[in-house]
Amino acid sequence: MDNKKALELIKLEAIGCLNKKDAASLLKMKETEKDFPWKILAEYQTLITLLPITLTLNYPDAELKDKTATKLYQVRNEIKAKIDAKKEKEKPVVEKKSVVGEVVLQGDSGGVIIEDEEISLQEDESDQVEISVPEKTVVESRKPSVDKKDSTTKIQPDRDQVEKIAREYFNTYFEKEIKELKNEVKKNRLLSFILFAIAIVLIVVLFVFL
Amino acid sequence: MANGNTLKDAEIMKKVAGYDSRALEQLYDRYAPILYTLVLKIVTDKQTAEEVLSDVFVIIWKNIELFDFKTNNVYTWLIMLARNKAIDILNRKAGKVTEPYTTAYEKEKIIPKLSQEIEAAELDDVLSKRENIESAMGSLTDAQRYVLELSYFGGLDEAEIASKLNIPAMTVKSKLQVAVGNLMKKLSEVK
Repeated sequence: MDNKKALELIKLEAIGCLNKKDAASLLKMKETEKDFPWKILAEYQTLITLLPITLTLNYPDAELKDKTATKLYQVRNEIKAKIDAKKEKEKPVVEKKSVVGEVVLQGDSGGVIIEDEEISLQEDESDQVEISVPEKTVVESRKPSVDKKDSTTKIQPDRDQVEKIAREYFNTYFEKEIKELKNEVKKNRLLSFILFAIAIVLIVVLFVFL
Repeated sequence: MANGNTLKDAEIMKKVAGYDSRALEQLYDRYAPILYTLVLKIVTDKQTAEEVLSDVFVIIWKNIELFDFKTNNVYTWLIMLARNKAIDILNRKAGKVTEPYTTAYEKEKIIPKLSQEIEAAELDDVLSKRENIESAMGSLTDAQRYVLELSYFGGLDEAEIASKLNIPAMTVKSKLQVAVGNLMKKLSEVK
């Protein structure tokens, strides 16, 4: 890799003055060069963000905090949806197969897969949602992952979970059919009883008249 | 346990990641002055600067998962985020950006992409280096400082700076590279 060229582009990127062509060249270097100087990029990014410190501080109006709070309140549904989506993503996936009654729990590679860095979600009664993020939460890599280790852990589904899902599956697909069958049986029983009663009456009539 | 005032920036960010609104308020209290100063310098009018600042906090709240908790460089991430947003507003007002402002656009153009090898930086640490930074800036030539400011605070690209200063774009590029290089060198010397 041309280190001099990379360094020149890194300086321009850090200052925020890369034209489209140079931006594309730098992106290509980041994605393809194993020895891309990430450390140097880090140093220049840090350096340039020190510039605002030299400015005389201005303070926003106190009311701006309330205005910001209002804006944040407006996106609460979006945040809630995000948390719910995360929750949903963490739930095991149920795959329905054509064989009747067979329920299979499956992640991408045959098991329930959870991220190494778990995020636990809690929702209290006041509808305030909290997510606790442990120490090793890892944000999506910005660097091309050449030798990224498999960060997933496979776990076996527990028995209660399987039973619960099987019950849900059963209720969803067979409950209606069973109900109809039960009604049918009830109807037939009633019909048999009526026929039986008529037969008895006929026998009694025949016996009396003969 | 540490209270709100003594929590480190990274600890506050971790709480923000848990959608703890009090933590976001702490982050606002701590960072609003420096971010507002930067944004005001870029957009130059108070009302727009206030709009941008509150938008920045909404972006943080909505995209906190994009903050890298491995490197924990809160200061650089927030400064870059605020600058990107302010420059974007400036460019939209000037008609230089017509692309719709979507979530994808925000992730691509506004939210910073820091090197994974960046070291953690907190506002207090940076503020304590103010004299060193001013000294390093003071060591640049007027021309170097000017192109640096036109680019960083003015949001001008090399062609615009070239046109403004009536010099070739290649010269602007090299002046910027020399200015940034010198700043780095001077700052390392005064450390």
